[in-house]
Amino acid sequence: MEVIQKYNEDELVLLLQRRDQQAFSYLYDNYAPALNGVIFRLVGDKSIAEDILQEVFIKIWNNFSSYDPSKGRLFTWMMNLTRNLTIDTLRSKGYKKQNKISGDENSVNDLQDTNSGPEKFDTMGLRKQLENLKPEQRVIIDLAYFSGYTQDEIAKETGIPLGTVKTRMRAAIMELRKILQFK
Amino acid sequence: MNIKEIISSGLLELYATGTTSEQERKDVEQWIAQYPEVASEVKEISTGLEAYARVYSIAPAAGIKEKIFAHINATENGRTAIITPITNAGAKIIDRTTFWKMAAAACLLLLLGSIALNIFTYSRYSRANGDLLIARQTLGTIEEQNKIMEEGMSVVQNKYSVPVALKGLEASPDAAAKVFWMQNTGEVFIDASNLPDAPQGKQYQLWAIVDGKPIDGGMIVTSTKGDKYRIQKMKTFGKVEAFAVTLEKEKGNPTPQGPMFVKGEI
Repeated sequence: MEVIQKYNEDELVLLLQRRDQQAFSYLYDNYAPALNGVIFRLVGDKSIAEDILQEVFIKIWNNFSSYDPSKGRLFTWMMNLTRNLTIDTLRSKGYKKQNKISGDENSVNDLQDTNSGPEKFDTMGLRKQLENLKPEQRVIIDLAYFSGYTQDEIAKETGIPLGTVKTRMRAAIMELRKILQFK
Repeated sequence: MNIKEIISSGLLELYATGTTSEQERKDVEQWIAQYPEVASEVKEISTGLEAYARVYSIAPAAGIKEKIFAHINATENGRTAIITPITNAGAKIIDRTTFWKMAAAACLLLLLGSIALNIFTYSRYSRANGDLLIARQTLGTIEEQNKIMEEGMSVVQNKYSVPVALKGLEASPDAAAKVFWMQNTGEVFIDASNLPDAPQGKQYQLWAIVDGKPIDGGMIVTSTKGDKYRIQKMKTFGKVEAFAVTLEKEKGNPTPQGPMFVKGEI
């Protein structure tokens, strides 16, 4: 896919604050696949995931004024919004919050490499590299980042003492960062 | 916590994954605002996590984007700008003319209003400023007059002050003057307000009679505007019998030459 125009994050934020629909179109193209993947991990159903994805982007558009760039990156904000909305939807519709983490890997890997964001990732290669991440490290990241577990819930789920969740999380993410350095 | 402790605490990682408690989130946000190193560390962590999320990207179905844009445009009633979404490279239909015309008209209206208000305000300001200057000048004059009055009053009220009434003589029976002689210091003041105006080129001169002889007591100012009414300080005499005023040439004479106008004895 050809990208008509590319914005850096500051430009993108500025344009979205001015409710620029072209920038919003770019935002969708650039982030929808990643956010869709996040939602899919939580709901495990493609069409439900896409319904939620629509709500997510409408909410991003309507609530963009509440994003404060000084507090964190745009993706972090969208990610939190996505996760919260997905979890709320699951709860409101009577879905049972499931621990999707263990089954996730297979279900995601079964899908084709459909990453079509403007920034092409060597997704397959990265997935392979991620196998270097220790499973217990991966679980702690996934529970927090994808499933929105609290520190308490993470401690219960993994059997890690509550006091060490922070340091384990740091170690896991440092490892992740090391692996995901693109060169 | 210092910066190193903050970075190694693991709280930044929890923040980036959205797992902090309310208090922890506030702390981290404060550190981000306070320490650039913390801000850049959080950014790096988030970038790493973003890359991780992207690994599991799943492209949504093609129609999703259209639905989102349709929804957004349907709810953006107040706006006339409509952009149809595109999934591939293509032209966007933009109809912004009406909106911009309205916006430009509104801006122009505001500008004109602002200019009018400025002119109005400036004229009021100028008038007020002029009034203020006049008031200040008036006040200055009144203060000056008041000071003169006070000086005069202090002469009259002084307990050592001996008033001497100088009465009109043949040359001018209606004329009068008052001298105040200070017993303790010998200072002499004259109130010349009841002398007729001195003719051009002439001036009144005060004489103190000491041991029967007239001694120059100083020139009385009547020419300068307003000064006639002022109590004027003259020369000092320790001992004096009487005072007299004659009309002399300007700057006076060493001995009286002209007609005597008023005289009074202590």
